[in-house]
Amino acid sequence: MPKAIVIVEEEKLVVQPADLSAPLSQNAIRHSALPSVEILGQSVVRRTIDTLVRCGLESITVFSGSLADADGFTELPQVVLFSPRDLWEGAMKTLAEHKESGTDAVLILGLGAYVEFDPNDAFQFHREKGSSAVRGFDDQGPLNFWIVDPAQVPDGSDLISVLQRITATNYPVQGYINRLEGPADLRRLVVDSFNADCRLRPHGFEVRPGVWMGEGAQIEKDARLVAPVFIGRAVTIAQQALITRCSNVERNSHVDYGTVVEDSSVLVNTYVGIGLELSHSIVDGNNLLNLHHGVLVQIADAAVMRPNKSLSRTIRHLWTGFGLDERASAN
Amino acid sequence: MLTSGPVVVMQVPEELNVGAVNRFMLDVKPLLETNRPRMVLDCSQIRTIDSAGVETLLQCLEEALKRDGDLKLASLSPQSEVILELMRVARVFETFETCDLAVRSFSALPVDPTPQDAPWYTTVFGELDTLKQAS
Repeated sequence: MPKAIVIVEEEKLVVQPADLSAPLSQNAIRHSALPSVEILGQSVVRRTIDTLVRCGLESITVFSGSLADADGFTELPQVVLFSPRDLWEGAMKTLAEHKESGTDAVLILGLGAYVEFDPNDAFQFHREKGSSAVRGFDDQGPLNFWIVDPAQVPDGSDLISVLQRITATNYPVQGYINRLEGPADLRRLVVDSFNADCRLRPHGFEVRPGVWMGEGAQIEKDARLVAPVFIGRAVTIAQQALITRCSNVERNSHVDYGTVVEDSSVLVNTYVGIGLELSHSIVDGNNLLNLHHGVLVQIADAAVMRPNKSLSRTIRHLWTGFGLDERASAN
Repeated sequence: MLTSGPVVVMQVPEELNVGAVNRFMLDVKPLLETNRPRMVLDCSQIRTIDSAGVETLLQCLEEALKRDGDLKLASLSPQSEVILELMRVARVFETFETCDLAVRSFSALPVDPTPQDAPWYTTVFGELDTLKQAS
């Protein structure tokens, strides 16, 4: 029975203002790598693991320094989460355990990119080729995803150096790929999802064509949503606000009176103040990244933008009391 | 009287926030309280600007317009531009890449010689005699 090892790569580079090709800094995304950032209701990590679970993998070992239980992995019995000091060293140990247990194929995913592929097709390809390892690639080059026979993998201290040493057969990935190399790619993924250019779908109810909403989202009187848009769980859109042009407002955020959000992503737990015009941007707490100008601005004025206050204990009880997902209130 | 003074270029301080706007206003106000003030604010030094700073810039523009003058912004950093756009005031100001361009823009179009109390049709059709001749 095939198994999987997923390594959620941490960002080590620091973003320079006006450099859109670089990954977002820790400041911008609060210590999270882009695949761990919640977009359209779920992170890329969670979506990838769900895909692996659906494909019937016996065990999925996830190595990450930033994932918390809030990502809901505890509800998936096949998934084991580890946070070692060195992710790739930890992954090597797990691969050695799979070797001892006689597993014939292990999928190794270094999550940096969002890749749509059929794991069963990849395992089939590995079996047919009979090689020790196959590696996914597309027209831009190799991807950090391999299927290996643990028995044929040489020993080493960390998995990434071992994988770089072995000769792998190329497995062409036909599906949608977004390498998530920078914040512009994160926005592109949102837009591609809205335009149905990829299989990623907003995690919520489609209340009318092109408008998705999560549980507990509140749209006040005279607020306007122009499709396609996504409003996450427990989000409040105040009166006269306008959310338009492929924008997504993620969980527990608040867009205040009269503000326009256009072609932008408001990440989880963010307050956007009164009467603003937010366009071509990604906002996380008081960090605003404008993709049009290519600059990261830290807003000092809490009346303009800030991390949204956590839901009170009373509200949390109300949520669970109504039988809704407790994770919705865990901020 | 239809006169206008020289274009005044003024440096905006590094911090234009709630703690610094009063001082800035004290400096800039006398320059705006002239007949048809023409002013360029050099924003190249701005490092911090908040909603109070944006409001101050709007007040300066209002003062200038009240006296038939104008106020233009030059050398805005991308960060300042993002803040102005966010607060919906970017389109209210005329902005230029350099102070030089901003200053020259005042002379590109001559100051409108039409007195403010002239009938509206003089600006649209020219003098009434000319209009009559043409018809």
